[in-house]
Amino acid sequence: MKKLRAVFKREYLQAVRKKSFLIMTVLTPFLFGALMIIPSALAMKGMGEKAVAVVDGTGRLEAAVSEGLKAPPGPEPKRDTAESLERPGRGRRGTMPGKMRVEYVSAAGRDPKEAAKPSLDRLHTERTGERLDGVFVIPRGAFEDPTLPLTYFSRSSTDLIVQERLGRVVNRALERERLAGRGLDPEAVDALLRDLPVHAVQVTKEGEEKTGGEMNFLVGFVFVLLIFIPVLIYGQEVMRGIIQEKTDRVVEILVSSMTPFELLSGKILGMAAVGLTQIAVWVAMGGVFAAWGTATALAAGVNLGQFLRPGLALWFLVFFVLGYLINVCIYAVGGAIVNSEKEAQQALGPVIMVMMLPWFLVMPILMNPDSALSTILSLIPIYTPITMFIRILVSEPPAWQVALSIVLAGLTIVGFFWVTAKIFRVGLLAYGKRPTIPELWRWLKVA
Amino acid sequence: MDPLLTVTDVAKSFGDVKAVDGVSFGIRRGTIAGLLGRNGAGKTTTLRMINGIFFPDRGAISLFGGEPAAARDRVGYLPEERGLYRKMTVLELLLFLAEIKGRAPARTKGAAEAWLRRFELWDRKDVKVEELSKGNQQKVQLVGALLHDPEILILDEPMSGLDPVNVVLVRRLLLELRAEGKTILLSTHQMAEAEKLAEEIILIHRGKVVLDGSLAEVRASSGKSAVHLDFDGDGAFLTSLPGVAGGRVDTNRAELVLAAGADAQALLEAAVSRLRIRKFEVVSPSLEEIFIEKVGEATLDEERTAAA
Repeated sequence: MKKLRAVFKREYLQAVRKKSFLIMTVLTPFLFGALMIIPSALAMKGMGEKAVAVVDGTGRLEAAVSEGLKAPPGPEPKRDTAESLERPGRGRRGTMPGKMRVEYVSAAGRDPKEAAKPSLDRLHTERTGERLDGVFVIPRGAFEDPTLPLTYFSRSSTDLIVQERLGRVVNRALERERLAGRGLDPEAVDALLRDLPVHAVQVTKEGEEKTGGEMNFLVGFVFVLLIFIPVLIYGQEVMRGIIQEKTDRVVEILVSSMTPFELLSGKILGMAAVGLTQIAVWVAMGGVFAAWGTATALAAGVNLGQFLRPGLALWFLVFFVLGYLINVCIYAVGGAIVNSEKEAQQALGPVIMVMMLPWFLVMPILMNPDSALSTILSLIPIYTPITMFIRILVSEPPAWQVALSIVLAGLTIVGFFWVTAKIFRVGLLAYGKRPTIPELWRWLKVA
Repeated sequence: MDPLLTVTDVAKSFGDVKAVDGVSFGIRRGTIAGLLGRNGAGKTTTLRMINGIFFPDRGAISLFGGEPAAARDRVGYLPEERGLYRKMTVLELLLFLAEIKGRAPARTKGAAEAWLRRFELWDRKDVKVEELSKGNQQKVQLVGALLHDPEILILDEPMSGLDPVNVVLVRRLLLELRAEGKTILLSTHQMAEAEKLAEEIILIHRGKVVLDGSLAEVRASSGKSAVHLDFDGDGAFLTSLPGVAGGRVDTNRAELVLAAGADAQALLEAAVSRLRIRKFEVVSPSLEEIFIEKVGEATLDEERTAAA
């Protein structure tokens, strides 16, 4: 135990004192923050100043369009304060803080394409005041012919948010006018066409109701990254360390002083502690950001706190440690049997691809946490940590499945550890060449 | 006295190469034993097996009367090639090396300072190992092998990379350690070095022990010890004395080759009775000469051609 502790302490201190560790630990949350904030900030900013011309071939929609753009599409339900913490799923789009400056061009009696010409020219003008971002053309026969398309001209074909919003507003205006044409009072039409908002509510086994499921995606992704990144980084680190010890021949001293089990455990646990330290710092920093950001989130009507159940931290710890140990064993064996990092990359490339599988399946698992795929993946030990954690996060998998997955993963780790310690012992000292699979098998039996 | 370390019929092959092929020897407590042989003779492999780094294919090793693994903490090992963490500072690394031998850093700090001062490295204690010269790294490695106060030291080429001043320093240190009752097994390919240090010699060649015994025994085993005489008088009779196998007699000087097992003392008595002896010297053959004699010039020549 003393020796295990000595190795543990050395691995931990050497890693934590590295400049790269400090930089990574401090910068990553900022990087993450930037990755999440900048695109949405940019998107919102882009939304902010859209100048659009609506060229109306019917000449009858001016009032309805400007009315529709003023009010968010779809009625906003009256909310009390408690409710405002939990934003209904659909309201989001309506209140997207995108402002649109709409010029209405009536093309009544004219060909709307002709009428749109001056506006279309302004899409590419250099004079800032006159520059338009889009031109929305309503055909002359829009009321009579339901097959005629509405056309949205813009500089970029990906200007989907404006396109969709204008489309909805104009369609709603058309519906209203059509119905008004049948003698209905526009007020009554609005009342009839009112959309009802959709609330997403997750019902737990205890009958507790939780809303705002879409935020689970975000939380899910963040946690998956928190499990994945340290495993990848420190797995590599363990491997690099072992290869270094082999090239420096320190390994002779180590192996002649302790059992391979002590050496391996000390190393792996030391690195796990490094990973946990880093995550603790991240979580602490995240907490500061969150405290600062909660006000913002609350103002936006999102209560992030409801997804961070207290039990979640425990689950995270359990699955982090499981995932960490499984992966690092693989890297440790890798380090023991190869002689250079270049060789290691080649040998481990396919293995890493296999390990990464859940990463590519995060979306399907998040969306169908109780599907057969998710269930099976969560019971395969190497995939358990991520898959089962996601399932616990967004759903409530049966307790026996959770227990089984943890037991299987635990057994796998014990098995991996045993195999690793043996291969480690022999592999560390087989200078010069990489062993073949039959040789590995022999090592297992001999060591 | 029971040997502290016993190696019995140990063998180790790497692929088709028999690195060690049936080596047996024993080392008594409190002696300095030299494991001699040319490069590639199997010295390092033998020492690695004693340290539990390689498993022997065959044979047994007993240390302190038991499994070598059980006695790990009582052994200090200096590997042939530098085995240090390059990125650690000197003192930190030494404390770690002692800690993995079961000594708490708080308790070894004082000893580490004493050793580093003795090796004139104390002012470099906070320098990273990789910034030290090769010789200084070797000294750090040696301190690393000594710091936990082991009962037996296994040193693989301890003098390599050291300048003559440091060689003397280390030699004196090893003799001191023996005086304290430590047991030392060192390997070297420099026979002259072994002659200065070792009381017990194990000569190995191509994975096999060719000679094993005390330095005196090893020398006596050679059929070629000689006597050098300076005298006044007629020395012609000297070559015909019993026990003299041959030699050359000049006017005032003779170089006589003794037959195996001949007693130089008897020769001296016979000489003194008839001549005025000014100098009488029993000249032992050097280890190098004995080695060549045992292994045979032929094999060595063969090797030289093969290497060329």
